[in-house]
Amino acid sequence: MDILIYGTINSVVLALYALGFALVYGISRLPNFAHGALYVLSGFITWSLLNILGLPYLPAIILTMIITAVIGALIYQFVLIRIRGMEISEIIASYAIGLAIIESLRYFGFRGMTYTLPAFVEGSIDIGDIPVDYHRLIIVGIGLVVVLLLWLFTHYTKIGLALRGMAQDERAALMLGIDSDMMAIVAMAFGSMLAALAAILLLPLGNIVVESGYNVLILAIAVCIVGGLGSWVGSIFAAFLIGFAQILTAVYLGSHYQMVVALLAIIITLIVKPSGLFGQQKELEERV
Amino acid sequence: MKTRNYAVLAIFLAVVLVILSGSSALAKKPIIIGCPLSTAYLYGWGAERGIKLAVEEINATGGVDVGGEKRLFKVEVIDTRDLEPGVPVSDALMAVKKLILSKKADFIMGGPVRSEAALAAMPLLSKHKKISIVTTGVLTPKYHAMVKKNYDKFKYCFRIHGEAVQLVGEIMANFTELKQKHGLNKVFIIAQDVSHARGGAGFIGKVAAQKGWEVIGTEIYPTGTTDFSMGLLKAKRAGAEIINIWMDMPESAILLKQWYNMKIPALPFGSTLAAAEQPGFWKATHGKGEYTLCNVVNAGNAPSNATPWTMKFYNAYTKRWGVEPEGLGSSSSYMAPYVLKEAIERAGSIDPDKVIIELEKTDIMGVYGRLRFNPKSHQVIPGKTPEEGAVGTILQWQDGKRVVVYPKSIATGSIKLPPWMKK
Repeated sequence: MDILIYGTINSVVLALYALGFALVYGISRLPNFAHGALYVLSGFITWSLLNILGLPYLPAIILTMIITAVIGALIYQFVLIRIRGMEISEIIASYAIGLAIIESLRYFGFRGMTYTLPAFVEGSIDIGDIPVDYHRLIIVGIGLVVVLLLWLFTHYTKIGLALRGMAQDERAALMLGIDSDMMAIVAMAFGSMLAALAAILLLPLGNIVVESGYNVLILAIAVCIVGGLGSWVGSIFAAFLIGFAQILTAVYLGSHYQMVVALLAIIITLIVKPSGLFGQQKELEERV
Repeated sequence: MKTRNYAVLAIFLAVVLVILSGSSALAKKPIIIGCPLSTAYLYGWGAERGIKLAVEEINATGGVDVGGEKRLFKVEVIDTRDLEPGVPVSDALMAVKKLILSKKADFIMGGPVRSEAALAAMPLLSKHKKISIVTTGVLTPKYHAMVKKNYDKFKYCFRIHGEAVQLVGEIMANFTELKQKHGLNKVFIIAQDVSHARGGAGFIGKVAAQKGWEVIGTEIYPTGTTDFSMGLLKAKRAGAEIINIWMDMPESAILLKQWYNMKIPALPFGSTLAAAEQPGFWKATHGKGEYTLCNVVNAGNAPSNATPWTMKFYNAYTKRWGVEPEGLGSSSSYMAPYVLKEAIERAGSIDPDKVIIELEKTDIMGVYGRLRFNPKSHQVIPGKTPEEGAVGTILQWQDGKRVVVYPKSIATGSIKLPPWMKK
């Protein structure tokens, strides 16, 4: 029972880490290595809105998501647009932006263990004999709703369909009048917003520390590689695979092997099926 | 007229002489203290603040008397980043090297903070004959064991704060009290996957078992872990009554929040537990850290009246930095410049060989008791009372305050159990 409950929670947490990264890559083929930094930054933005400006929680959350989306769009418009299609340059540039964000936060004094966000609902409930706090249950609920909304958005809205068109074949989408740069900006904004949503949901579990940005990035990449770069459905599947594998490892082998699971999953995937479980990059298969 | 001119000239010369004599310490080359510290982390910035506060106080009184001439201390800090996940030891060694070669440090003080990095830096310090006083974070007993084993090579290394074996002794004394008062007998150990924590966890497990405690499990977590549910559930299922925690990573706050939310009927007893050491812990956990115990290694890192200097330091630190002393290295880092000053003044020189001899003769009543180094291992000598030696401090969070519960000689309260585990 505990494996089922905490495996599900852990999987949804991983999915939330990865969704933004998967969405941006899936649509614009842009590996946003600033994803982890945006996650941490949005945590500190929320904290600042709550504690410095004194805003209520809900407006602070909405404002944070908007601000982070704008930051994501600006990163694309002023930096990444110039190197679009040059994958190594995209990785280096986005990682550099991430580093700059994280180190700036550290420089301006956002360090230590006292930056926290309040839980949405305090308290816990026993499911069977397993205690689970309400906030973790809310994370699972919102996580599943977000996945459903994303599916509906990409299947039934004009922008969503345009994004899918871009993801499937950028040239064909261009011929149909879809502005590829505009869609890439929208994707980057959405991806950043999802990073902010993940931060707002997950950071109340602990505290906001700048170093967690690197951890989030590694886990997001692991999930996306296993699921298949570019496939956000694959990412969700991979999140559950790695999430449960981590919990099973903690129970049967020991918690200190948990981090190895994600890295091992990357290695196994690259050896056995380089394009990932639901990957669309068949050229990777052909190379092997 | 001529007489008047002479008088003016004489006054002018007298004023110049007074100014020059008053600023003689300023004119002399300062004694550079190089501090390799992980400044983005509690144990790093706490140490930096402690050292800087002491140096400011010393310099305000004219500086250090080196063989009859007054010289000021100057602090140079380089971020080692060694407390970060992955423990970048090479970064820490580069920081030490830069302090010695580029910043021309005369002495090294503070870190490296992580035990692994501090151990790796020892040969480097020997090579450059630089005296180092470790003031924060380095808890591994191996540090002073290495000095003892190879004195001639590692005689430059001193440690002015307590270490893991001492911590274990203090914690076991509290376990004994908890057994006698409340009938507790089962302990579950949770540790971070770093040298001092793994070593400390293993050691306390052995000692506790020898003393009749049932050690029902040990869980090791990598640095940066954000979910402790499985470990806590294991502890609950095994009937743990005390969860002994060895963690200095910020995520330890998550562990304590989960412990509270899951209402695990076991007392969280931190050996090192960085999150709970900070005064801001209560606010950060929204009160969920109540009943958490942690060892802040030496007195002065939490309010007590261990010596007349304790609260004087506590208040000076609070006034200077706008926050109370926060982590385990604050008071020891504050004392290190004073101990070094006295040793240099006795030696009348900053020659390392002469200063080592004088540091070994150190005997002053400091913030956390009588400070002396073991002349063979260069480890500060611990004591249960301030008169005997360097006293430790174990605190418990009670109603938003850090209450000192050990040692009894300086305690301001006693241990309380959470209501959901009272028998």
